[in-house]
Amino acid sequence: MADRLLFAKTGRARYISHLDLMGTFQRAFFRAGIEIKHTEGYNRHPFVSIALPLSVGFSSECEILEFGLMGDIPHEEVPQRLTDVMPEGIIIQKCYPVERKLKELSHLNYIINMEYAEGRPTEVEVALREFLTRESHVMRKKSKKAKCGYTEFDLIPLVHSFGLECHRDSITLDAILAAQNPGLNPEFIRLAFCEAYPEYTPDFVSFHRREVLDGTMSVFR
Amino acid sequence: MNRTLEQILPKVQKPARYTGGEYNEIIKERSRVDTRYALCFPDTYEIGMSNLGCRILYGMMNEVEGVWCERAYAPWGDMEEEMRREGMLLYGLESGDPIADFDIIGFSLGYEMAYTNVLNMLDLAGLPLRSSERTALSPIVVSGGTCAANPEPLAPFVDFFILGEGEEVTLEYIELYRRARDEDWSKEEFLIEVAQIKGIYVPSLYDVEYQEDGTIAKITPLKGAPAVVEKRIMEHLDEAFFPVKTIIPSTEIVHDRVVLELFRGCIRGCRFCQAGYAYRPMRCRDAEKLAQMGKDACSASGYQEITLSSLSTTDYPPLMGLCDDLLEYCVPNDIALSLPSLRADTFSMNLMERLQKVRKGGLTFAPEAGTQRLRDAINKNLSEEDLMQSCKTAFMGGWSGVKLYFMLGLPTETDEDVLGIADLARKVYQTWRDNAPSRARGIRISVSTSCFIPKPNTPFQWEGQVTMEEYQRRVNLLREALRKDKSVTYHWHDADTSILEAVFSRGDRRLAPVIEEAWSKGAKFDAWTEYFSYKRWAEAFEHCGIDMSFYANRERTKDELFPWSVPSIGVSREFLWQERELCYAAKITPDCKHQCSACGASKFLKGGVCTNG
Repeated sequence: MADRLLFAKTGRARYISHLDLMGTFQRAFFRAGIEIKHTEGYNRHPFVSIALPLSVGFSSECEILEFGLMGDIPHEEVPQRLTDVMPEGIIIQKCYPVERKLKELSHLNYIINMEYAEGRPTEVEVALREFLTRESHVMRKKSKKAKCGYTEFDLIPLVHSFGLECHRDSITLDAILAAQNPGLNPEFIRLAFCEAYPEYTPDFVSFHRREVLDGTMSVFR
Repeated sequence: MNRTLEQILPKVQKPARYTGGEYNEIIKERSRVDTRYALCFPDTYEIGMSNLGCRILYGMMNEVEGVWCERAYAPWGDMEEEMRREGMLLYGLESGDPIADFDIIGFSLGYEMAYTNVLNMLDLAGLPLRSSERTALSPIVVSGGTCAANPEPLAPFVDFFILGEGEEVTLEYIELYRRARDEDWSKEEFLIEVAQIKGIYVPSLYDVEYQEDGTIAKITPLKGAPAVVEKRIMEHLDEAFFPVKTIIPSTEIVHDRVVLELFRGCIRGCRFCQAGYAYRPMRCRDAEKLAQMGKDACSASGYQEITLSSLSTTDYPPLMGLCDDLLEYCVPNDIALSLPSLRADTFSMNLMERLQKVRKGGLTFAPEAGTQRLRDAINKNLSEEDLMQSCKTAFMGGWSGVKLYFMLGLPTETDEDVLGIADLARKVYQTWRDNAPSRARGIRISVSTSCFIPKPNTPFQWEGQVTMEEYQRRVNLLREALRKDKSVTYHWHDADTSILEAVFSRGDRRLAPVIEEAWSKGAKFDAWTEYFSYKRWAEAFEHCGIDMSFYANRERTKDELFPWSVPSIGVSREFLWQERELCYAAKITPDCKHQCSACGASKFLKGGVCTNG
């Protein structure tokens, strides 16, 4: 495993699940004529691994996939060749050798847009700010390991920082969230906020991953 | 992307099946398209996308300038609920446009239990169900596929049916449609004219009269429609379109691999098998061309599995050569080659051993009947020795599981035949004991039975299906006989879908109100246990005053006029009757390779002689 792809997942491709996306990449490498490393053993298959699974329906411009490039195709040729044989909405931006360890990837920048069909309630900004600046907010999430069927976690420390921007029919939350060990799925922010302020429940929420960051909040590649 | 769809999708399971946007999907510029076609499959995306016929038609139609063929599948219940709540109409996956605005809507009909989905999809499209209520020329609703051999239960809903293989006739009726539209024909004028195209059956142009006992008295063609509509075939498959560059789904489907069609038709003539008669005569594709198409399809798709498709793979004459050719490409590229529909003979077993180097999961055989007498009666040309020899080879080679498929309720079946299934399973077990290199892993023998369904255009089209009670009695008999065999697991299919299939496969147009009634009470996805309700169907029949047993369990007289008398698959009624008599005499009919039985299907070929057998 020595190479990485940086790619975007947008438009109709947002609805491809994590598992299906891996299959899509395995087939795409083959049809692009790009030879990649295979797993060894009983059921040999091309090895690909996506760094941080993206929820179905989320868009992203900073997905990372690890694989091993073989043969003599130069890295810089890979993005175009691969994008050409991808389903609509998956765009490979960069292909490069691995230099940093994946565990250095610690944060994610998300753009969360909460939409109100009847116009944004004016107080939602204050409410959201109040909610995200609380001391703590303990939530439950389902767990297969725990005996009781769930584990508890505090949402607030997993929100590193955030900004808010108001529009006529929506409010945009630009947030930096913990990425792994543990990470925070922004879906929990929506859930918790709607519980705390049911009167500001949006009609629709879109989630977009904008950047992957390291511990110093610099771009991770 | 449509805003409503965007808001619905996060609420439903597996949203990728509703988005389109897959690799190789065909997008055309609306301004350069004059004819829009919605190719509909009345089941889920995963099943519909696995249908080779639809891929062929999709590829072919989109090669025509000005024609844009898109796909539509039956949305699962959660999606349907959201669509109805939002007032969203059924749309083409490519453009997202409502299919109600298209010119032609075509349904592929593979099995009877999908009929309610056809109605449901028309309703979701926002269209009236009945042909007579859709008065404008467009959209024209057409249908083809196996069920078109007796399309009568759907007659009032579909404008016309396509019999046989669709490659040529599809382009022909699209051309006629374009002319009709340009010249401002009425829908009726178009239907009268389209009925003159060979292979097209327009049900509204036939008047059906009934006798007092409920059977058909007379079928009268109207307005110049032909008395018999013969199916279409592609005589030379090598000239037929093959979808090398085809849509690659972004989500897993049922047959997620390259499918190579070896041949159409079948030489075997198993008397219960509709496909065996309906697709005659046998026509092969050239092995060299197939090998090349297989390689091209892999590199164009990225699939690392090829499957060979036909009704009986072993009967493809150059099978060995083709496999060798393909393996030469497959092995270095880590591509798996799989061969379904193999016969249980030594030749096939050797072949399988060569192919399946790694996985040794299970083997499946379909003896269909438990005794040699009954296998002869149904012309299932499989001897006990062949089966045991195949099992022996398999067990010696390390296989540790065998699945055996049977039917209960076959014509002439006695309790002795039912118990013969248990005997056969025991002999398989004994073969394992005698031959397995190690008995440590044990053996799993699975016996499955389903209820035989008499199908139109087969020698058994005159037969009554056994009642549900009788089927259950035979199931219990077999179950009791296998009770002590620890290594044998017995599975049986419930008879309630089988009786409905029996009703609809040989039904007439008086069943249409029953389908409509069941649908209005919520019937859809009847092939899925999640949705199927026998009670709902029984109530619909009662509501319409129609007796299921008239269609399912009644034995027909030799001369009865069948509802499927106008559509013709080209096999003569006399031949089918003669085959039925041979069944009752437990006499076999040799396969087409050994001797021509003059079934009638050779008339489709130039010179009138089958050469591929």
